[in-house]
Amino acid sequence: MSKKVNKAIKDLADLTSIKEKFAQIDETYEYRLLVCYGASCISSNCKSIHTKLTEELEKYNLADKVKIKLTGCIGTCAVGPTLTVEPDGVFYCNLEPQDIETIVKEHLIGKKVVEDLCYVDANTGKRIVHIKDIDYFSAQEKVVMKNCGRIDYASLDEYIANDGYYALQNVLSSLNPEDVVSEVEKSGLRGRGGGGFPTGFKWKLAAKNQSDNKYVICNADEGDPGAFMDRCLIEGDAYLVIEGMTIAGYAIGAYLGIVYVRAEYPIAIERLQAAINEARKRKLLGENIFGSGFSFDIEIRIGAGAFVCGEETALMASIEGKRGEPRQKPPFPSDKGLYDKPTIINNVETFGNIASIFLKGASWFNNIGTAKSKGTKVFALAGDVNNTGIVEVPMGTTLGEIIFDIGGGIPNGKKFKVAQTGGPSGGCLTPEHLNTPVDYDSLVELGAIMGSGGLICMDEDTCMVDVARYFMEFVQEESCGKCVACRLGTKRMLDILERITKGEGEEGDVEKLIELGETIKDTALCGLGQTAPNPVLSTIKYFREEYDEHIRKKRCRAGVCADLFISPCENACPASVNVPGYIALIAEGRVEEAYKLIRQENPFPSVCGRVCTHPCEYSCRRAQLDEPIAIVDLKRYAADEVMKRNEPIKELIYPSNGKSVGIVGAGPSGLTCAYYLGKLGYDVYVYESQPVAGGMLAVGIPEYRLPKEVLEKEIHTISQIGINILTDTKVGDDVAFEELLEKHDAVYTATGTQISRRIGIEGEDMDGVYHGIDFLRDVNLDKVDKVSGKVAIIGGGSTAIDAARTSLRLGADEVHILYRRTIEDMPADKREVRDALEEGIKIHTLVAPLEFTGKKKVDTIKCVRMELNGFDRSGRKKPIIKESSEFDFNVDMVIPAISQEVDLPFVGGKEVKMTSWGTVDVDMDSMMTTRKGVFAGGDDVRGADVVITAIADGKKAAESIDKYLGGKGILNKGEKIDIPVAKDDEDIVEHERFEMKYLSPEERCNNCKEVAQGFHRLNAYAEAMRCLRCDRR
Amino acid sequence: MVNIKINGKDVKANEDMTILEVARANNIEIPTLCHLEGIHEMGACRICVVEVKGAKSLQASCIAPVRDGMEIFTHSKRVRERRKVLYELILSDHPKDCLNCGRNLSCELQALGDIVQADEARFKGDLSSDTVDLSSESIVRDSAKCILCRRCVTMCNEVQQVKILNAQDRGFATQVSPGNELKMGTSTCVNCGQCTTVCPTNALHEKDAIETVWDALSDPNKKVVVQTAPAVRVAIGEEFGYPAGTIVTGKMAQALRDLGFDYVFDTNFAADLTIIEEGYELLSRLVGFMKSAGKITDKEIEKLGFKDKVREPVLPMITSCSPGWIKYIEHYYNNQLEHLSSCKSPHMMLGALVKSYFAEKEKIDPKELYVVSIMPCTAKKYEVTRDEMINDGVRNVDAVLTTRELAVMCKQAGIDLKKLEDGKFDTPLGLSSGAADIFGATGGVMEAALRTVYELITGRELPFENLHVEPIKGLEQIKTAAITLTDLKDEWKFFEGVEVKVAVTSGLAGAGKLLDEIKNGTSPYHFIEVMACPGGCITGGGQPRSEDRDVRTKRMNAIYAEDEGKTLRKSHENKDLQKLYKDYLGEPLGHLSHELLHTEYVRRNKY
Repeated sequence: MSKKVNKAIKDLADLTSIKEKFAQIDETYEYRLLVCYGASCISSNCKSIHTKLTEELEKYNLADKVKIKLTGCIGTCAVGPTLTVEPDGVFYCNLEPQDIETIVKEHLIGKKVVEDLCYVDANTGKRIVHIKDIDYFSAQEKVVMKNCGRIDYASLDEYIANDGYYALQNVLSSLNPEDVVSEVEKSGLRGRGGGGFPTGFKWKLAAKNQSDNKYVICNADEGDPGAFMDRCLIEGDAYLVIEGMTIAGYAIGAYLGIVYVRAEYPIAIERLQAAINEARKRKLLGENIFGSGFSFDIEIRIGAGAFVCGEETALMASIEGKRGEPRQKPPFPSDKGLYDKPTIINNVETFGNIASIFLKGASWFNNIGTAKSKGTKVFALAGDVNNTGIVEVPMGTTLGEIIFDIGGGIPNGKKFKVAQTGGPSGGCLTPEHLNTPVDYDSLVELGAIMGSGGLICMDEDTCMVDVARYFMEFVQEESCGKCVACRLGTKRMLDILERITKGEGEEGDVEKLIELGETIKDTALCGLGQTAPNPVLSTIKYFREEYDEHIRKKRCRAGVCADLFISPCENACPASVNVPGYIALIAEGRVEEAYKLIRQENPFPSVCGRVCTHPCEYSCRRAQLDEPIAIVDLKRYAADEVMKRNEPIKELIYPSNGKSVGIVGAGPSGLTCAYYLGKLGYDVYVYESQPVAGGMLAVGIPEYRLPKEVLEKEIHTISQIGINILTDTKVGDDVAFEELLEKHDAVYTATGTQISRRIGIEGEDMDGVYHGIDFLRDVNLDKVDKVSGKVAIIGGGSTAIDAARTSLRLGADEVHILYRRTIEDMPADKREVRDALEEGIKIHTLVAPLEFTGKKKVDTIKCVRMELNGFDRSGRKKPIIKESSEFDFNVDMVIPAISQEVDLPFVGGKEVKMTSWGTVDVDMDSMMTTRKGVFAGGDDVRGADVVITAIADGKKAAESIDKYLGGKGILNKGEKIDIPVAKDDEDIVEHERFEMKYLSPEERCNNCKEVAQGFHRLNAYAEAMRCLRCDRR
Repeated sequence: MVNIKINGKDVKANEDMTILEVARANNIEIPTLCHLEGIHEMGACRICVVEVKGAKSLQASCIAPVRDGMEIFTHSKRVRERRKVLYELILSDHPKDCLNCGRNLSCELQALGDIVQADEARFKGDLSSDTVDLSSESIVRDSAKCILCRRCVTMCNEVQQVKILNAQDRGFATQVSPGNELKMGTSTCVNCGQCTTVCPTNALHEKDAIETVWDALSDPNKKVVVQTAPAVRVAIGEEFGYPAGTIVTGKMAQALRDLGFDYVFDTNFAADLTIIEEGYELLSRLVGFMKSAGKITDKEIEKLGFKDKVREPVLPMITSCSPGWIKYIEHYYNNQLEHLSSCKSPHMMLGALVKSYFAEKEKIDPKELYVVSIMPCTAKKYEVTRDEMINDGVRNVDAVLTTRELAVMCKQAGIDLKKLEDGKFDTPLGLSSGAADIFGATGGVMEAALRTVYELITGRELPFENLHVEPIKGLEQIKTAAITLTDLKDEWKFFEGVEVKVAVTSGLAGAGKLLDEIKNGTSPYHFIEVMACPGGCITGGGQPRSEDRDVRTKRMNAIYAEDEGKTLRKSHENKDLQKLYKDYLGEPLGHLSHELLHTEYVRRNKY
């Protein structure tokens, strides 16, 4: 290597000569390898990649042809270490040292991209070779981070080669300080530290103050949890910050700039110091810069990392050697700042914008962003999002675009729940804000703030009370302790939040939180205190029901507040089945006790072991290691084992109490209610309009998923305790509702959703259009046993999949599912969807029907293609009609299966109030309707919902009916079952999930045999031993 | 001038005024808690928040400057509600055991409740650390009572610049204490007690000696002697409802007698004694200086009677009456201890005399004598425990009560000063001059010394109106004066034409400045008076806490009035003192003086 000559840079000609020379040399290399050397990549050991790369290049004698550049953070922190091969634009990630040899041999020598090491799109699972094709990069617009990931962070020459220092040279040679200030004002740049104060105006205030000394301070005391934009910029492009500060110094008439950076950023400090030294050496700092007569130098002050020192007056106190505490403003720093001299304090990112503004002009900058927020914003994406890392987008980019298009959405198929901006000073944004353009003002309107750029995504497993508690704990610990409002106010808020999360919340706590929050906002001394209540107030604003649930029901729906439940799975189960308990019993071979334990909370183990939507498994912590425990399958195993024995189930039943309860509907909800009331000694009658008991279980779920025999046995074990089930008895027709009320002391209605919701398009009543629920019922009742030709199912829920697979089994030639969203958005169980595809069912996504047409019967569906645009309230991308994309789809039969509705003609009337959704209005705590003694639950109350909630409602109704009829509301669940003590961690089986046996597609698609065949005993034990026993304390 | 509106009323104000100042100037009282006018403007407690039209949040009126056109509401619904929550928050971290608290009915936090009217305790939760630091001989810190107003921090750091008390830690864990986990007693605290005078609650207070003194009084085997410092008599009246600046010397003496003290002496007697000893010491240093400069012969020295008394020519000499100051220099300027006068402080001298001269005279075993000093000072509590303050195996002074504690004892004993006739001090240690009275105010020791020394070498009275050295009177931090010595007595002729330069400071910040000058070799002074407390003993750490903003001036004026009201105004004219020298001590700086009245100092660590 030739010896570097670091000559002083005096003028434009020097810059140009450096730039040209650099480009010349760069072009001599066949490949330029960009290794990300951001702090995140360093912690994932990119140094070993670099070492290995050097060795390999040496080995193959490529050192002259290939140049390695160590760059600043490229942004994709989640997939580091990374390597970009230029000029090919190929992006390798998640590299291990051993991958380097392959890349060198195959790509650099063999000219063949090593696809296996390229980036994987989290949603499609596909490899993407070129950096330009990766959404994460292509959707960004880089102004501040333009050099990060692209150039050698340490090379001043390369910085200059990328137009560095042209701005400063131009400013010093052709603008006077007033022009500089006015150009910044014109650009519309606002402070990136979070407050969004107009930068030009701030500079103007400081510039007009006469003083012998002024200061420029760069605030690099980045302290928000999860935020690391400033660190990345300093590490990756320190010269850009230095150049920005120098221009600021010139503008306000300061000679000294100070970068206040926290000690936790040693790499940033080291690189910044090196850059300062280099800039001094080349006369870009110091006396008489560019021969202009202007002198400026920069020093680093290392802070101890107190969050409050990000507040400008506290920061200055800290620089002055005092305790880092804020003081009253006014006086503002522009009047009386550091050492009482006029001072400007700007964030790192703010300075990062300055050079570009002077390079490309204020009007160029002004054209990026929204009306009041100009330019771009750098965010640190963190939390539950696929592409965590640093992103830069124009102001006004929607939250959804940032999280889903760039961030790649939420991992593990979880739902997006909330995004937190502005850290402990900020607030939360919910799915309904996904279409909100992110800029200073829109966020403030929503009760959040832009903040310095920390953007923490949280999925559905997030408890908002716990989030509020977390942030409050953070600010409480970081409060400087000076003013009462912040020191004691945040403490008392934290005390209350801690009580709530421990299940000790009291009525009125939320009001106290609001009162304290408002008081702190109104009376605290500094910005930290005034914004400290924001996370709490914001979560109360959007998630008040979660607070109330914690306080009133001692329930944490997200399964976070550990004092409120046995385990996350138990917490997720609407029926509160002691999951770790029965799994532990199975692991010990105590299968019958496992079955009994399940039945204490849920009288349908066989059914739920087959068709439950298993929210428990979504909450299973084992999923964080490999896969969730097969909770449903184990439940089925326990039930099957007990059923196989064919022994009567003995139950303790209380003597008759002489009271009678009528139940309408022998579905899961009605039968559950009947079971628990029967065991308490009530005289129970169940009225069922169909010829069989079981409700939707009997007539809505196909045989291949839930064999009739299994269901019958299960219903028998329930009814054998002494319940009268009257089938073929339709309330309203065969017996009047009022008669029930006379006969019984209380009535529970759980008739379920019996009616298919109509799509509401032309031709829906034609022959050949068979609505989903009707179709499945008729098949189950043997009214239909054959289907032929080409069948199209409309919808993506489980009824749609059931109808499709049933059609196939009844002889359809072709089965197609038309769905207006994407497969990922289908509400149906993922396994069912996969099974359907395996069986040869075609799924057409982003398609919606416009009209059914045909001569005698339906033969064509007029369809239209959809595209996704924006986000709906559920956080899913919103399908909208794609212009001029209509097409015809030929069919022989159509099964619309979009949803179901409740049909309750018999309870109509004034006394039982209905909601605008057409469901029964009940008090959800007691399940009682507006008519005394009449209770309702399941789909009657919720609309189309799942089996387990119907069961949970039935159980809850039993408790309330007992209370209503003078009991204590305590159900007779049988004897207490001892649960094995959790063993040591070493005993947990290290194996991925054990699968049950399934029939192959060939074996199953032309018959109604049960597809899932159940567990082998040893697999069941082994699977049970995978349980982490979250229930142990 | 700016025009603003407070509660709808148009008022004019200077633009450098705070909202609080303007409100008070217009007779609108805004409640405050942490605020201390002109000293401590912190904005920590937020109690003084007011609503300013157009402002996003409420403003702390004590630190928010007024602006032209400002519209202010001092007690709107919003203000009252917020203020109440803030007060409730403070209470939520306070023990609220008022009836068991030393500050019951004299607590500012309690008094604020009267205004805020918080009627329920809605916020409950953890309480801050409740350590009681008893390690200091002078000051007790009870952290549970601390409301973190930080007044003590300001006093300690900015006024006194001792820099012991500081906010430590963050968030709810924040507390005021000496750093590095030191305790008050092991830190470099100088015991000045200024923190105790500003503490609004009982978080900082003097270490109680009341019960010890009661025990002594009820011990039949003890003769209990009491002495009172010059500054006590101008302040104790305040505790009994007298306005600041009322002199109650006679009533105080009577109260002490009524409390059961066997002998009631006056520290002022020893103040006169101090002037003699210290004056001679100054002269001996000056003589030493002249000697080393070769300007005086041994013969001349002998003629002066200074043969054995010539001291090392270390100048300036600095007074040593203030034990807080002594500890300060021992810690922070411990290379400059030789500048200190070797004189004990007056009450120590008196204690030493009680247990020697007086004991001999009255034929009482010194061990049976129990000496109690009533002092405006908390540092004296520490001073009496120093190893240097023992003669013949007995402590010079056994207990120190602050002015505040004496008031408590009187109240315990049912004594109301207002109802007492004037009593008298006992002899022979009760007579004193006006020069002794002014010891209580800053500049007083210097003036008293000059009255004596000047007359000693010139034979004439100090040439100032009313004997007051005007330039060194008053409350400024550092005051200086220069007196040219002319027309001297024959034996002192070698001083002819010398300009004696003196400096006076009160408050340790000023002392630090003067010592720095000495260290840098730029100090022009021969003699410096230092009092640890700003204003001198009149506002010592043991004096009554006053809400009167002019209390220092009033007490100072009272002291000077006491002086002027006497015919005996010069220490060397005190007949009892002359008798003491004649009968017992022999001569100033003599052997017995050296043993009983002088002391030495200790080099202490800076941290």
